[in-house]
Amino acid sequence: MAGATRPLPALSRIARLKASLLIAAVVVGFTLPQFLPSWQINLLSLILIMGLFAMSVDLLGGYTGLVSMGHAGILGVAAYGVGYVSARLAGPHSQQIVVGLLAGMAVTFIFGIMAMRTTEIYFIMVTLAQGMVVWGLAFRLSPITGGDSGLRAVLRPEAVSAYWQWYYLVLSVLLACSALLFIVVRSPFGLVLKGIREGEGRMNMLGYNTTFYKLYVFMVAGFFASVAGVLFAYHDQFVSPAVSGILMSAGAVLAMILGGAGTLVGPLIGATVVATFQNVVSQFTLFWGSLLGFVFIGVIIFARKGLIGALSVWWERKEAGRSTQVQ
Amino acid sequence: MSSGLFFTQLINGLSMGALLFFLASGFTLIFGLMRIVNLAHGSFYLLGGYAGFTTAAVTGNLWLAILAGTAVAGVIGLTTERMLLRHVRGDANAEVLVTIGVTFILADVALAIWGGNPRTVDVPEYLSGPLRLGDFFYPRYRIFIIVLAILMAIGLYLLQNRTRVGAVVRAGVDDREMVSAMGININRVFTGVFIFGACLAGFAGVIGGGLLSLLPGGEFEILLLSLVVVIIGGLGSLSGAVIGSLLVGLIDAFGRAFVPDLSYFTLFGPMALVLVLWPRGLFGKES
Repeated sequence: MAGATRPLPALSRIARLKASLLIAAVVVGFTLPQFLPSWQINLLSLILIMGLFAMSVDLLGGYTGLVSMGHAGILGVAAYGVGYVSARLAGPHSQQIVVGLLAGMAVTFIFGIMAMRTTEIYFIMVTLAQGMVVWGLAFRLSPITGGDSGLRAVLRPEAVSAYWQWYYLVLSVLLACSALLFIVVRSPFGLVLKGIREGEGRMNMLGYNTTFYKLYVFMVAGFFASVAGVLFAYHDQFVSPAVSGILMSAGAVLAMILGGAGTLVGPLIGATVVATFQNVVSQFTLFWGSLLGFVFIGVIIFARKGLIGALSVWWERKEAGRSTQVQ
Repeated sequence: MSSGLFFTQLINGLSMGALLFFLASGFTLIFGLMRIVNLAHGSFYLLGGYAGFTTAAVTGNLWLAILAGTAVAGVIGLTTERMLLRHVRGDANAEVLVTIGVTFILADVALAIWGGNPRTVDVPEYLSGPLRLGDFFYPRYRIFIIVLAILMAIGLYLLQNRTRVGAVVRAGVDDREMVSAMGININRVFTGVFIFGACLAGFAGVIGGGLLSLLPGGEFEILLLSLVVVIIGGLGSLSGAVIGSLLVGLIDAFGRAFVPDLSYFTLFGPMALVLVLWPRGLFGKES
């Protein structure tokens, strides 16, 4: 076998760069609580949760070409599941988490069945309507959701109640979920997703049941959105209709496009920008929504490939320059 | 259920359906020709309604209010199409996302000008109060809306099928390249149709402002209803808009009357059913 004797290929420059950046990011991530004050660590925890949520949106939007405008509906249901068991039933944390995840997955399944046969704009429209229904129900079903005033006193488990303990937990969950997501997008399943994005009709011709794959990826994305929802409930220690609102869904889509759709890392970076921006700007003005709108439109018209897209173009040019110099 | 209550809900449902038809017809017209799902449609409705509210409050004339609301929405539509949508033409996802951005901006514009209190468009004396027919009393304003919608449906049908402009638009729906090859400036047709759709939304806003309240967040409520209409009826089809509006209006009215807590859920069920059985809606075309 030729393959057995072939030496391992040396890591390319870009792969080495990526690996060292990743290691540096993880090390920095774990040492930050030593340096930063509590409010910044809290903001970082929020960014990581939003990042996980944006990565889940990216699995659908960036990899499969199905942009979900109602993903916060799933996140919201999971958060309300936690909040309901905690605030209304006073159940233990294990029960809160299980109910949150199960509620999120159940809703994901129903939404997935509805959306799986739609494509492109129809998918956006259907998911938008789904998210808005959850948002509307969050207001109206006050016996369960507490209506406008939401569910209070959703306490974190004892072991992660301090801000830095909570940050470490969120960071660990994010790393684990990112690893899983990277495995998913690099698997044969991930290739099928990209195939659906590039041409669903052709994938059908090749014998792939794309409807089934779309439901499948919707469920996978819904799982990560539910995890983000559970984390979100404990992060705020409070659940209100805003968690399922359109600003939340749109914020994640913006993070995805801003960072670079279909890259997973991009949405994480995008979420950092969006969450920081939101946090800082909302202290100065009530009109956060319209600023988001302007950024949204600007990014879509002028920078649709996102930050990672721009970086990779720059890198390829640089590499092309190098190879011509060598010759 | 008493027949009185039934008829009341029937009129409520039909008038709500009539209001939704104004919205859905513009929505579906824009989609049919330009393949743009205009998610700012609810904002056009809200701003048109607010403009109508102010005009009615100043002049006391509903017809002037309708004119003002329609015109304001038309101008916003023109600006959106010319300044923003033109840059992303052909990229369906980008077009939809731009209209969502527009929604956020217009929401704050409305909040800054008209504040957070619910507003209602003043309805003149001769259109308010009940109308007695036999044993039943019908609210005049709701009857007025239903009549307007029937006239509008006939008008739109004639416009689409009996006029030169309608022929150009229908041709554009089928094959835009061929239309431009025939020497018609398709970009101008696009702008025109987008403005017309926006005007319909603004018109609906003033009419709806006399029926429901105009308030922040109202654009999302009405957008959700319009989305459900076109999802059920099928995008791009005028008959789909008629049937979808009627269904959603009636489901919404009877749902609110019997299961008020679940009023959103009563819409969700039929939408889910239609999506599973006919992903493109009852009258949607395969593309």
